[in-house]
Amino acid sequence: MRLDGPDSDPDPPGGVISTPSTAGRDPVRVEVTGLTKTFGRVRAVDDLSFTVEPGSVTGFLGPNGAGKTTTLRMALGLLLADSGTATFNGRPYRDLPEPTRLVGAVLETAFHPARSGRNHLRVYCRAAGLPITRADEVLHQVGLADAGNRRAGGYSLGMRQRLALATALLGDPSVLVLDEPANGLDPEGIQWLRGFLRHLAHVEGRTVLVSSHLLAEVEQTVDRVVIVGAGRLVREGSIAELRAGSEGAGSVVVRSPEAARLAALLAAPGRSVDLEEPTRLTVTGTSTDQVGAAAFAAGIELHELAARSSGLEQIYFQLTSGTEQYAAAPAGSAR
Amino acid sequence: MTALVRAEWTKLFTTRVWIGLLLGSCALAGGFAALFTGLAGQDGEDGPGIPALDDPEYAEVVFSVAANASVFLLILGIIGMTQEYRHRTATPTFLTTPRRGRVVAAKLLAYGAVAVPMALVVLAVTVAVVLVYAGARGNAPSLDADNLQTLAASGLVLVVFTVIGVGVGALVRNQVGAIVGALVYLNVIEPIVSSIGAISGAYKWLPGGAVQAVTSDFEAPDLLEPWQGALLLLAYGLVAAVVGTLLASRRDVV
Repeated sequence: MRLDGPDSDPDPPGGVISTPSTAGRDPVRVEVTGLTKTFGRVRAVDDLSFTVEPGSVTGFLGPNGAGKTTTLRMALGLLLADSGTATFNGRPYRDLPEPTRLVGAVLETAFHPARSGRNHLRVYCRAAGLPITRADEVLHQVGLADAGNRRAGGYSLGMRQRLALATALLGDPSVLVLDEPANGLDPEGIQWLRGFLRHLAHVEGRTVLVSSHLLAEVEQTVDRVVIVGAGRLVREGSIAELRAGSEGAGSVVVRSPEAARLAALLAAPGRSVDLEEPTRLTVTGTSTDQVGAAAFAAGIELHELAARSSGLEQIYFQLTSGTEQYAAAPAGSAR
Repeated sequence: MTALVRAEWTKLFTTRVWIGLLLGSCALAGGFAALFTGLAGQDGEDGPGIPALDDPEYAEVVFSVAANASVFLLILGIIGMTQEYRHRTATPTFLTTPRRGRVVAAKLLAYGAVAVPMALVVLAVTVAVVLVYAGARGNAPSLDADNLQTLAASGLVLVVFTVIGVGVGALVRNQVGAIVGALVYLNVIEPIVSSIGAISGAYKWLPGGAVQAVTSDFEAPDLLEPWQGALLLLAYGLVAAVVGTLLASRRDVV
């Protein structure tokens, strides 16, 4: 089965949908205020507040165990919050008259193993009062049209993610909430998902809230980020704001036969220059542009000039380090 | 609510659980009907056995045996509710219908309604076995008012047990736990209660006692009237449903 991205879809989804909300999606603001949840003695979510602006793609980031899933399940009325509220245009999820037409959520990739993907979708068409033909439309939209008659128990992890996404899209919702949608996807699947989310948000104008424990996974897709650690809000803002705060946090690796001379040239306040080998050095607090310019001006020959890590990834790591529940010992850190 | 009931039917008929349980019910009811017919009128060494074919009590015994298939329909109801938790479809189900009481109510209606044709099939198999086999032995019971009433009572038991099953499933969300618990209750706890003199008076108020009251009025040492038994049975179904609904609405769906 060839899995095409949504852009190659001959029928734009907006054109074939028979639900009334097609004409123009209502902008929906998601507001989370003071959500708190304790499981036994563990405070999973602690007085968490943030906003998802209409029409934006917001990344909900944090290490494993930071309380992302708990927050999303509380917002959607599946878990009872100890205190706090989550509202969609001012109303809690449970009070929405037709929730599936306003909010679609991908939280679970489990299905009744004996039921076919198409029949799974038909169940929820019926329950939501949607035309039964929506099942085939969303199967087509996520590239599962050929697998619709197969039992969901035989689906691969990637196909399950697509079926879960299809379920969320049944009501053609204005808001999509996705919990770790890239989990278990192969690189091709992740690429497809990125394109699909971008399409849903930027072409179709949906508000998207997508959680992930990896910034790199969503960095290219999201406009805004909400970063949590240990159940608390760590940082909320646009990618641009985060990037501004991370200026110089990355490091630059340089290989040059005259590494020592270059190291002396680059030494400056706010920079750290580390001559690791006679021909290799690492500089932090600068950019590849500046290093390249300095080397060119001094006539120094370079064999390699590379940014070692994205500044954003670095700052995400700094922001959330120490908040992991099961943090590894520093020396054995797998990152 | 109509939409939710139809959604439950779609769930039920897009898997094969119901076929297996219906076949099991028919095999159990038909098998015992055949066994009772074959043994009718034969006294064992330890005392009298099944009444003879021309005895009205034979008809009552053989037509009320269908009520024993209630265990399969109880399991049908339990599976109908607990599979949402077992296969984690509770998440999309409650996302689609966040007012969870409506989901449980729809399941009660959907399964109660589905149990009617299933019960009719079980009764039809029972009647067919009895008429053919007893007829071959020379004396088929007629379907007179008394016997039709016995059959109707058996059918009622089958339908109410399906509804009770949904309620039990909402109470005990673990599928294996709910089924094992229900079987242990019906086959171990109730018989023990009924056999201990000091507390056996309570038996008539239990579901098993109610079933006996509904299906048999010939040997009723200490049972309710049939109509009282029917009401009690319906009350059990209702209580299970209401408690199940309340719990389903309050519990976390992790």
